[in-house]
Amino acid sequence: MAVNIVPDPENFLMEAPIPLPLLRQPEGGGYVQREDCQDMPRPYEAVYIFDSTLEDSAVTEKLDRFHQLLGTTGEMKIDHWGRRQLAYPIGTKENGYYVIARFDAEAAGIPEYERALKLDESVVRYLLSIFENEVGAPPMTEEELALAKKRGDDDDDDEE
Amino acid sequence: MRRPSKACPFCETRVRFVDYKDERTLGRFITDHGKILPSRLSGVCARHQRQLSTAIKRARYLALLPYTRGLQG
Repeated sequence: MAVNIVPDPENFLMEAPIPLPLLRQPEGGGYVQREDCQDMPRPYEAVYIFDSTLEDSAVTEKLDRFHQLLGTTGEMKIDHWGRRQLAYPIGTKENGYYVIARFDAEAAGIPEYERALKLDESVVRYLLSIFENEVGAPPMTEEELALAKKRGDDDDDDEE
Repeated sequence: MRRPSKACPFCETRVRFVDYKDERTLGRFITDHGKILPSRLSGVCARHQRQLSTAIKRARYLALLPYTRGLQG
């Protein structure tokens, strides 16, 4: 049967001669990770604020419990800042015990770990972020500096 | 009118990423009331200003910096 490629002007939308490609949808209707990115550990940095009334040993114990949930085998850097005053009161608390942890973890283990953190009432706050090598990154080289400067000069034109 | 270009303090010290935990540095880029200082006053380049604003917001959440200051009553 010959396909009529000249569309009828009145029924143009009704009788599209060439079938439209189906809209691309992820399998299962949800977000699908790229295959080559699955199970890839990422560097994370977590900052915890514990209740300052907690004993030091209890803090270490809790940290161990949380980090076990991640199931990481790599090295974990834990930096205890200790007790310090909060910049503003959180609830009734004026002080907090700050701990910073850096680790490599797979994304699959993160929800369970965050759930445990949220359920624990001795964790006043926590912040989990992708570690961007702020501290360990080498300083910018001369070339990069010149490039940044050039970019900065270009940006100046569009303001005020 | 083109404003005189000020050197970016982060570029000068060759900072690659603005650290949200370094509240002493971040404290230089907020006003007395705790607002983020505009780059037109601080001279921070666009790239570092973007990082800076995220860093200040993270630091505020972690109670390292205040959300507001000097507005009691």
